[in-house]
Amino acid sequence: MAKIQYSFIFFLYIIIKCNGVNVDIISSDLKLKNVDRNIDISSQLVKITSKITLENTGRAPVKYFLYAAESVTKDNLAFVGFKDNNNKDLRLVETSVKGYDDVKFWRVELKEAVNAASTVVVMAEAVLTKALLPYPTAITQQEDQLVKFNGNLYFFSPYYVASQKTTVIVNTKSVESFTKVKPFSQQDGTISYGPYSNIGPFTEKELSIHYKNNSPFLTVTRIERLIEVSHWGNIAVEETIEIEHTGAKLKGPFSRYDYQQDHHSGPASVRSYKTLLPASAADVYYRDTNGNISTSNMKVKKDTVELDLRPRYPLFGGWRTHYTLGYNVPSYEYLYHSGNEYLLKMRVIDHIFDDMQVDELITKIILPEGSTNIKLNIPYPVSRLPDNLHYTYLDTKGRPVVSFTKRNVVENHIQDFQLRYTFPRLLMLQEPLLVVGFLYMLFLCVIIYVRLDFSIHKAEHPHKD
Amino acid sequence: MTVETHTKAKLPHLSSDKQLTFIKLAVLSMAAILSFATRLFSVLRFESVIHEFDPYFNYRTTRYLTEEGFYKFHNWFDDRAWYPLGRIIGGTIYPGLMVTSATLYNIMQFLNITIDIRNVCVFLAPFFSSLTTIVTYLLTKELKDEGAGLVAAAMIAIVPGYISRSVAGSYDNEGIAIFCMLLTYYFWIKAVNTGTILWATMTALAYFYMVSSWGGYVFLINLIPLHVLALMMLGRFSARVYVAYSTLYCVGTILSMQISFVGFQPVQSSEHMLALGTFGLCQLYAFAQYLRERLSPANFELLFKALLSTLLATLGTAAVALTVTGKISPWTGRFYSLLDPSYAKNHIPIIASVSEHQPTSWSSFYFDLQVLVFLFPAGLYFCFSKLTDANIFIILYGVLSIYFAGVMVRLMLVLAPVMCIVSGVAASSLLSLHVKDIEPKVEKPDKKKKHENNLVFRSEVGALFVCVLGCLLTSYVFHCTWVTSEAYSSPSIVLSARGHDGARIIFDDFREAYTWLKMNTPEDSKVMSWWDYGYQITAMANRTVIVDNNTWNNTHISRVGQAMASTEEKAYEIMRELDVDYVLVIFGGLVGYSSDDINKFLWMVRIGGSTDRGAHIKEADYYTPAGEFRVDADGSSTLLNCLMYKMSYYKFGLMYTEGGRPPGYDRVRSAEIGNKDFNLDVLEEAYTTEHWLVRIYKVKPLPNRGV
Repeated sequence: MAKIQYSFIFFLYIIIKCNGVNVDIISSDLKLKNVDRNIDISSQLVKITSKITLENTGRAPVKYFLYAAESVTKDNLAFVGFKDNNNKDLRLVETSVKGYDDVKFWRVELKEAVNAASTVVVMAEAVLTKALLPYPTAITQQEDQLVKFNGNLYFFSPYYVASQKTTVIVNTKSVESFTKVKPFSQQDGTISYGPYSNIGPFTEKELSIHYKNNSPFLTVTRIERLIEVSHWGNIAVEETIEIEHTGAKLKGPFSRYDYQQDHHSGPASVRSYKTLLPASAADVYYRDTNGNISTSNMKVKKDTVELDLRPRYPLFGGWRTHYTLGYNVPSYEYLYHSGNEYLLKMRVIDHIFDDMQVDELITKIILPEGSTNIKLNIPYPVSRLPDNLHYTYLDTKGRPVVSFTKRNVVENHIQDFQLRYTFPRLLMLQEPLLVVGFLYMLFLCVIIYVRLDFSIHKAEHPHKD
Repeated sequence: MTVETHTKAKLPHLSSDKQLTFIKLAVLSMAAILSFATRLFSVLRFESVIHEFDPYFNYRTTRYLTEEGFYKFHNWFDDRAWYPLGRIIGGTIYPGLMVTSATLYNIMQFLNITIDIRNVCVFLAPFFSSLTTIVTYLLTKELKDEGAGLVAAAMIAIVPGYISRSVAGSYDNEGIAIFCMLLTYYFWIKAVNTGTILWATMTALAYFYMVSSWGGYVFLINLIPLHVLALMMLGRFSARVYVAYSTLYCVGTILSMQISFVGFQPVQSSEHMLALGTFGLCQLYAFAQYLRERLSPANFELLFKALLSTLLATLGTAAVALTVTGKISPWTGRFYSLLDPSYAKNHIPIIASVSEHQPTSWSSFYFDLQVLVFLFPAGLYFCFSKLTDANIFIILYGVLSIYFAGVMVRLMLVLAPVMCIVSGVAASSLLSLHVKDIEPKVEKPDKKKKHENNLVFRSEVGALFVCVLGCLLTSYVFHCTWVTSEAYSSPSIVLSARGHDGARIIFDDFREAYTWLKMNTPEDSKVMSWWDYGYQITAMANRTVIVDNNTWNNTHISRVGQAMASTEEKAYEIMRELDVDYVLVIFGGLVGYSSDDINKFLWMVRIGGSTDRGAHIKEADYYTPAGEFRVDADGSSTLLNCLMYKMSYYKFGLMYTEGGRPPGYDRVRSAEIGNKDFNLDVLEEAYTTEHWLVRIYKVKPLPNRGV
């Protein structure tokens, strides 16, 4: 019996080890002296920036501390990032703590250890998607969109918080209702809470704000980003995008007359949005399965190309659209090589519209035929999809395709990936030789056909018209 | 046209034989390239997009074929059209077009040429026009000579009558059918000239391709027997013709019956009886000739008379019996309207309502053929002057197709190739006649031709004539290019207009509406619209339609017409009966787009009133007492309160459309609408496009009880 128990424990231990989950303990030496929290809910995203003053009350220096997300927000949490005083990114590792199974923890590794009785200031940034729920869920064309934000009144932390303040930016005066826990104040589109002192670890108290928010509630439900690398100097990018308006649904009819006559009609609808492309982008196209979408403008600016994309129809709550956007960029800006070793440095995802939220991102990178030793390096965790081959013009054995996917992506994820591969430069000649060889064979066949007589019997009278 | 003039100019290091080949190849390939390039106006001006209505159906079925494979395509039951009846696609189409482009697509995919299936469809018609150019050359060469062939090839490359149906994006059966037809003719002429089974079998194969791609094959299977009959009557019937026709008929008929849409028609329907009869006659004629050789004239006379009378009697009774029992189907309406242009108008409104089924006006002959109209009689003269079996064929073809083109506008397409061929013969003959005169005569001590040379200014007249013909041909080129660019190269799915400042304004409302339907309505919604838009809705919006351009069920279309022509309450009953979720109407009153639903409305009334259930809908009710069709305050109250009127003009009464006009001014009908202030009870506006061209309404569910 005991044997079985031991082996079971051993088995569990192996499972835990295999899963590679870090287990940490909450240090009782650490205390948050002061937290200044800023919650921006004026767009469709919830952006939380907190200035945390960390104090080491123990004796030993501390190298890291823990950051926690409450169970309700952990599914919506798209991005977490930490910076130190010098605006340098800090390393984050996902971890867990025994006894707190439904809380998500990160271990934040500090650049320099905090000595006993000293403090350090770090900036935390978190972005939540789909945390603002339209309420009511359906509105008519003329109505404003009201949304509800539900959050935590206190900074959620595994540590004791001595003092904290929270400022919520709603950017509107029309707030229907909000949680009132003294001390609080409301002015000019912001609601301030606190200071609250001496809040224990893991304290949750509901913070609810019901307010007007007519900013575009657009969700990219799926984007497939295709990057095709050519060693002849060009990189083609094509993005297939599906967008849904995830705000309050449109109730009742859509009246074109009202929409055209009255500019305030349909305040929650989206007529157009701006997409920023790299400054060197050229040959831009914008189309869907039915052909070209003729309603868009392109402005070339100094550091970007600005596309003013107008979907075929305005997007009201619950309406969807899809399109394909493609462009070319010169490869010298993104592709580096020394000898046969190549390095591709491009964005995992590019800007689609301001404050975007992406449900599902698939990035595919098509490398030239004959590339080997492919190594992919991405700044944040993604799930890699199986590699496959892509066949197009003049291919014989197919081009390797590297692809990966990630869910819940926001603007903070616009970062570069690095892809290293080996490509023998001599292979560049393969495609021209293929064409030359084909033409050579063709002419040879014609010559043979014209010069030689293939008929099985000789015509008795040489035919002449 | 330039061969004769160029052959004398010496190119370095080439024998004159090679020069000839080189020039022929150059002219022919340039004609082929030109015929491809001149059809690309719409792609360059707009984009690579499928045009019009029917091509969208062909495009959709081709996509299905490439995605699902041939057997699924063959057994395809389409539940997206003719709700709730559906349509068996495999058995009701000519699959040649789809199979052709799917084959091309698959070959290119195999070679790793990753071209989109849409682009294959868009460029298929221009590609086949290039092939047509080459086949025309071959055919004319068989009839006359290579020079005439080149002229004909150059002419058909740009003839507007053919371009109208084969510009890039006009992905329709006719695009490849003309190629198949000319190929069949070419092989037929070859078969008649050589009398070999090989060429006759090739004819049958080409005929099979033609049958698989266009219903117009009926013209072909009547023309060839007519040719055989004509040869018989002229005493030119020979073993060559016998072999050619017998082989073609047997193999061709069996092959054509493999197309499930054709089925047993080749042996049952009256349209094919001429071919069958001629086949029988061929056998009898050959048999009679055989007997004549063996018997004495008196015996033969007796036998011939006896046989003939019994045969005629049996055939007559058999034909009557078969027609009575329904084995031989009566001639269909489209065919009647070929013979009697007024037939359709009097009997079948649905045929008459299609603009391409209207009789051709004189001006459109000139518009579509220009100089060919004048060269054609000259060409016929040259054909008659040297009568051969092949020339008889082309004369028959020319005369018959002129008649048919006069009956129905769309058959201009069949006329255009023969116009080019015969005009090619004419131009080439005239040129070669006069170019000879221009050249300084090498004074031969020729006694025989002494009297010919006594014409004064012979070379000057020749030069003048060549100049005149040159001018005519040049004007032909300019005319063709102008017509192609102005009349036949608009995709009609995207409209464009010039703004006040000369900038181009694009009206992309159709695709806007279809994309909206596709993305924002439930997948299984049923959309009711007039049948013109059925194919586009299924192809672009992927939604179920009640009726579409395959107008096979008159009562169903009539039901939709009745809904459009009734009051809201009556229409609601019909829409509930047809299980309609959305209604789509085309309205041009805001931007002045004249082919909208209000202008088509009288056809809806006529077709709606043509069945028993719509007997209460009378055309006269929609006119003013003075007999006018008006939408303003003087219009009939039936019109002003019917569903179509309300859907088109809902909230339009508030709109200012033109400066200095009252609100609700309809720019197509040039009138202020008569019924402005009304609400819709059973419908709600679901979507209206930017320029109000397409308006989509949602049918409200039944009201809850007790509300």
